[in-house]
Amino acid sequence: MLNKLLTAVHGLLIAGLGRDRLEYFASNTMNAVTEKLDPFIWSYDCQAKVVAIEQETADTKTFVLLPNQHFQQPKAGQHIEVSVQLDENGKDKDVSRCYTLSKIQQDTVSITVKHQAQGKLSNWLHTQAKVGDTFKISSPRGRFVYGKQAKVMFICAGSGITPGYAMLNDLLAQHIVPDIAFYYRSRNPQQTIFQNALAATDKVNFSYSQQDDRGVMLDQLAAFKDIKQRHIYLCGPQSFKDQVLTFLKSIDYDLNMLEVEQFTMPENASTQVRNFNEDVSVRLKSQNVSFVIKAQDCGQSILEAAEAQGVQMEHGCRTGMCGTCRTNLVSGSVSGNHLGKTIYPCTAYATSRELVLE
Amino acid sequence: MSTATPESAPLTQTAIEQDYDAIHLAFENIKLKHRADLGTKDVEHITSMRRYSRIFEVIGRSLICVLPGPLALIGVPFLFLHRNIEAIEIGHNVLHGQYDSFESIPQFHSRKFRWKAPVDEISWRQEHNGVHHVHTNVYEKDPDLNHGFLRVNDQVPHTRLHYFQLPIYLFLFYPIMLYNFNAQNLGAVDKFRERNFPLGNKGYAVLDDSLRLSDADVKKRHRRAVWRIWAKEYVFFPLLSLVAGFGFFKVFLANLLADVLNNYWIALTIQATHFTEPLQPEDAVNNKGKWYVSQLDSSVNFKGNRWQSILWGHLNYQVEHHLFPDIPAHRYPDMALEVQAVCQQYNLPYKCNHSWRQAIGKFFGVMWRYSFKDTASQPTLTAFLNKGVSDVK
Repeated sequence: MLNKLLTAVHGLLIAGLGRDRLEYFASNTMNAVTEKLDPFIWSYDCQAKVVAIEQETADTKTFVLLPNQHFQQPKAGQHIEVSVQLDENGKDKDVSRCYTLSKIQQDTVSITVKHQAQGKLSNWLHTQAKVGDTFKISSPRGRFVYGKQAKVMFICAGSGITPGYAMLNDLLAQHIVPDIAFYYRSRNPQQTIFQNALAATDKVNFSYSQQDDRGVMLDQLAAFKDIKQRHIYLCGPQSFKDQVLTFLKSIDYDLNMLEVEQFTMPENASTQVRNFNEDVSVRLKSQNVSFVIKAQDCGQSILEAAEAQGVQMEHGCRTGMCGTCRTNLVSGSVSGNHLGKTIYPCTAYATSRELVLE
Repeated sequence: MSTATPESAPLTQTAIEQDYDAIHLAFENIKLKHRADLGTKDVEHITSMRRYSRIFEVIGRSLICVLPGPLALIGVPFLFLHRNIEAIEIGHNVLHGQYDSFESIPQFHSRKFRWKAPVDEISWRQEHNGVHHVHTNVYEKDPDLNHGFLRVNDQVPHTRLHYFQLPIYLFLFYPIMLYNFNAQNLGAVDKFRERNFPLGNKGYAVLDDSLRLSDADVKKRHRRAVWRIWAKEYVFFPLLSLVAGFGFFKVFLANLLADVLNNYWIALTIQATHFTEPLQPEDAVNNKGKWYVSQLDSSVNFKGNRWQSILWGHLNYQVEHHLFPDIPAHRYPDMALEVQAVCQQYNLPYKCNHSWRQAIGKFFGVMWRYSFKDTASQPTLTAFLNKGVSDVK
């Protein structure tokens, strides 16, 4: 009861004030009392609260989440990382998984999750999560977003529909709707996520693997006559992606026009060290900007690399003396001028493939 | 022992090019030693400062609310202590990133911290940490050298306004000093000079173009920085008192008094610990040893015990603060001994006034002197500033 009331209050607060003003209010009234009073609003973490759970198919549910003020408005096609503390042999352990945002609304976002019997987090979400539960989420990530092309095509399979669905809704709501083709393959109509909503758009060609085998699928794809002129957004299980890729190569499709969804997880200690022939992706959390340090630029400090990409970072002396650029690592690792998780970007160098700074 | 330098040439010109590397190393060693020693002591210091500040706040606000009429003034010193500790010992030092590396206290991380002062944190960090601390006492570079319309050296063009700079600052600007600084950090002050001064910003530092915000952003940031204080001091607590039956205006006025005292205190602390001359070369930052020497040359300490130092935010150890801006400030009294030893070894001056009063008197002297156009016939300023300053090493 209390939980429901609180959830309603949070919804009203975020809708009424907006995230920016709520952040101003909450951060300036943060103290030991308010932090205990309401740890959802008075918190330094980006958290989300489950506000509704909808059954999509027999084994798939959509969770509507209300993120707190630290969340930044996502683009359709991006994903978030969900972290939940789960009890494992009597010990609390953080379990994290990435989920694409299937619906993006003004104040809420949704993730659509298929139940995997072996999956720790999907299992928890399906069997235990209830309205009012909160957990940590990351800010939206990923570059699998619409690139303003005039002719696009989405090729999705199974639960890989989620980014396609989010992008389709986003595109249909735009002033100038691009030329969209949409191919969605699932097992059968009963197991087709968003079946009704997708059918209602009149844009989607459905294909069912129980009726149409792989040969038919390739014919169906080949039936899109102008497929080679379209930018393709591909998302689905690995085997499906491989089949589509082979097909695209066989018709001489320009692979520069292909976007494939990939999740980026923060790396843990064991996989951290990068080869110096790899690019580094850097994210500045507080500014909500990302940039890439090219492998050949690995001699540049993080500050220099940011400036080369036209990204502004706070800085002063550039020699590590004044401490102006000083900031904290959220994930990743650096060499050079650092003190534990505190780093001096003017004189520190990336040593992991991904770097997230406060 | 006095170390009167006869001329106002910066130390970086007269001294010791060949010693720069050694000087750099010596100061760097002090820094590294204290960086390696960071730990629970520092966490305890900052959290206990917050605890004291809260205790003073509760005492101050209750007394102001409950005591009748003028007796409410008894609460003002307590409220002042709360505002003061929050503004400098906590706020200023935290925003230098001095406590960033302690994971257990996110509330004191420079990018998460919110100041209980009317100053926008992001633009302050950039202006104060990134410009003032890097180009200290550099002509037309250091925004804190000639803030507002202040004239404290010959090179700033004289206008009629400057005849009155001492009373204007004493009675009009210092009581709202933090508000002025906020306007300066956001780039409103140099725009004002550009429009209203005959020679525009000549002689004054200008906000870098890359940091310039849109007018709408400046307004928003300024409003937000100021209203979080006003809403609390002049709306919430007076209203609370009104509802409780103790009256609105008594609390409003007492809070105003604490606010003014706080501004005044901070203004005098900062002004009295920066030597306005000699001006420093712009390229000092390119050589770490030279930079350390230029910092040493621009700052002056004044004496005070450890408890008093907290009330000055440890800025009475301005020398140490300018050498090591991101080391927790409560370590400066210890570091001072090590800095003095280095100064001794390389024959560098370590400047210290006997008292705050002496330091303030000197700064007022400088303000008075440069109220007037022609100062050439008077004895050199450096000699004046150094008069009575002891070298305590």
